[in-house]
Amino acid sequence: MSYITGPDVVKYACTCGLLKPIPQLYFCKHCLQIRCRFCVCHEVDSIFCGKCSENIPSAEARVKKNRCANCFICPSCQQELSTRIASKGPANPDDAKSPIKKTYYLSCYFCRWSSRDVGIPDQPSATGGWPERENVHINRLQEVLDTYKQIMHSEKQQKESDKRKQRGKFVSYTDKTGVTASALRKRIGLPDIPHAMLKKPKPPEPAVAKAEVDELPESIFTEPIKLMEVTTIEQRLMQPECQPLTVDKLFPVHKQLSIKQSLRCRTCEHNVSKPEYNPNSVKFKIQLLAYCYIPEVRFVTVEPLRAGQTVELIIKFTNPTQYQTTITILDLDLDEQAQYVEEQKLIDLTQNLEQALSLQEKQPMSLPSLPYSSGSQPSSLLSLPRLPSVIVKPRKIFTETNCDVAIPESSFILPPRDDAAEYDDSSEVHNFEDDPKLIKWRKSNKAFVKLAVTPRADLKLGDEVVCGFTMQHIYTNVLPPAVENKQPQKYDHKVRVFLTLGKVVGSE
Amino acid sequence: MARNSFKIFPGALVCEESKLRGDITVGAGTIIHPSASIIAEAGPIIIGENCLIEEQAKIIHRLPFDQQNKDNTPVLIIGSHNVFEVDCTIEAPKIGNNNVFESKCFVGNKVTVSNGCTIGAGCRITDEQILKENISIFGSKCQIRESIDKPVPQILQMETLMKILPNYHHIRKPNKKH
Repeated sequence: MSYITGPDVVKYACTCGLLKPIPQLYFCKHCLQIRCRFCVCHEVDSIFCGKCSENIPSAEARVKKNRCANCFICPSCQQELSTRIASKGPANPDDAKSPIKKTYYLSCYFCRWSSRDVGIPDQPSATGGWPERENVHINRLQEVLDTYKQIMHSEKQQKESDKRKQRGKFVSYTDKTGVTASALRKRIGLPDIPHAMLKKPKPPEPAVAKAEVDELPESIFTEPIKLMEVTTIEQRLMQPECQPLTVDKLFPVHKQLSIKQSLRCRTCEHNVSKPEYNPNSVKFKIQLLAYCYIPEVRFVTVEPLRAGQTVELIIKFTNPTQYQTTITILDLDLDEQAQYVEEQKLIDLTQNLEQALSLQEKQPMSLPSLPYSSGSQPSSLLSLPRLPSVIVKPRKIFTETNCDVAIPESSFILPPRDDAAEYDDSSEVHNFEDDPKLIKWRKSNKAFVKLAVTPRADLKLGDEVVCGFTMQHIYTNVLPPAVENKQPQKYDHKVRVFLTLGKVVGSE
Repeated sequence: MARNSFKIFPGALVCEESKLRGDITVGAGTIIHPSASIIAEAGPIIIGENCLIEEQAKIIHRLPFDQQNKDNTPVLIIGSHNVFEVDCTIEAPKIGNNNVFESKCFVGNKVTVSNGCTIGAGCRITDEQILKENISIFGSKCQIRESIDKPVPQILQMETLMKILPNYHHIRKPNKKH
């Protein structure tokens, strides 16, 4: 989404240490922390086809290779194909009253490709029965696939049998006497058959590398190339199984399915974003976007930046919530953040140790408790539902600032958002005792704030000036359903905000 | 510019609000929407039968700079069954039959359009060329492909317009006989 702020001038520091503009951030109401797409758990909520808007269960989607059975896309331009009707005269030419026979063909409204172009016969029914093309490599692929399935299966069984042995819940007679099945077999003189589970699957024939390739046909050098008949790279990669060289071999491609994704905070396992199940709906059941909860900072103007000179910076604060908030601008203090990160690490380590001790003699440590996985990209493994999620620990912010911000002594109040304020012409009266040095102007839930910034003296011409500060605002939590006689809880929440002010200009 | 003179054949539907300039001949069955503009600047324009010229479409007969100031006045002949969709700008010096100019496309004055071509929405064709028959141009990169058949004529749509347009707009009276 391109946001009205345009280039990312103002960035907020996420708990995971990344800097992002506010529309890309989420705010977990339960842990009161900022989250971004990098540090939440991505889960597949539902799988659907974007054309026929049908939900498809994940098992079925897997069988159909994540493609819709009924919808096709154009092999020429990758847009969706539509079914068109062609009437083909009456079914019985002698009888004038007999109904007109209808046939159907696929056509692309974008590039005018049609299934008739490649000689696919028209179908008598609208829903299809479109001929599928055989994949020439299907046998080989199936062979490889089967082998991997077997390997997976045997590994799973091996793991299970290991588990059973360790637990020792079901003590069999042979276990007690120390006589294994194989030893018993030997004793009675039977040949020793390896256990069915331990049987190694037969590997498929390995692929053979070849250095010699067929010579190019003569015609390729002598005849002029007809660009109209050759397919483009995109068109070939659309059909990886046959990769057609000429346009007359382009066949309609099944449409790839889309997913609806829900995002889960890794620390408290609450959803920060959950879409509605209905594929037609673009709404969300839960959508905790940061710009609905955290005051937005926008860059208004700054005087020409010169190294070592104090200039005036004007920024705008907007309160998006229904509650009044107080904003205090504090020092950026990246050291404090680093310290906090270190503390969290220590806490985590001790926890892990305890966990590991309590888990002793059980199965090897599961993925979540491995310390190194914290920073790794969320792998597909983690997106499996109900897996204990990897907790993303806060990390250090590595962005350097090269501009000092004079921290104002006073804080200021932002009134709640009022949707009707825009249409209300009557002059609003605020009884806030504003510091005139700090507040330049205010309107409804917005305030324009003056800050004095000084780019460092050692900056050269054309250097990008980055400044930052910590914004402390009061977040009013309404999450626990308002119990009687209980005020909504208020928290001080701190966000580190970074502004890219522009480039250093020369003196006068 | 030549004086305005319009020849409209019976069966054509030309809305009075449409902007016509110069010497224009409109064939039978052709529909010209109220805010279409047809400007015969360099010479007469002859529009064939059963063409559909939609809102905001601009057909301009304008010569390239290097061909101006010649003695003979060229005539822009537009064939039959052409569709000029909303907000297209066409300056081609010659147009055949059964072409579709989709919305917001632009065809420059050096491009000769033959028969059965489709110029996709938003495509800009400016280089000097002759478009082969049954070509369709589509996409932001103006990809070209050749179809085996000409685009399907919009008969249903034209029939509806023939009925509906006279209910809401003043129509220029046909002034030519067969």
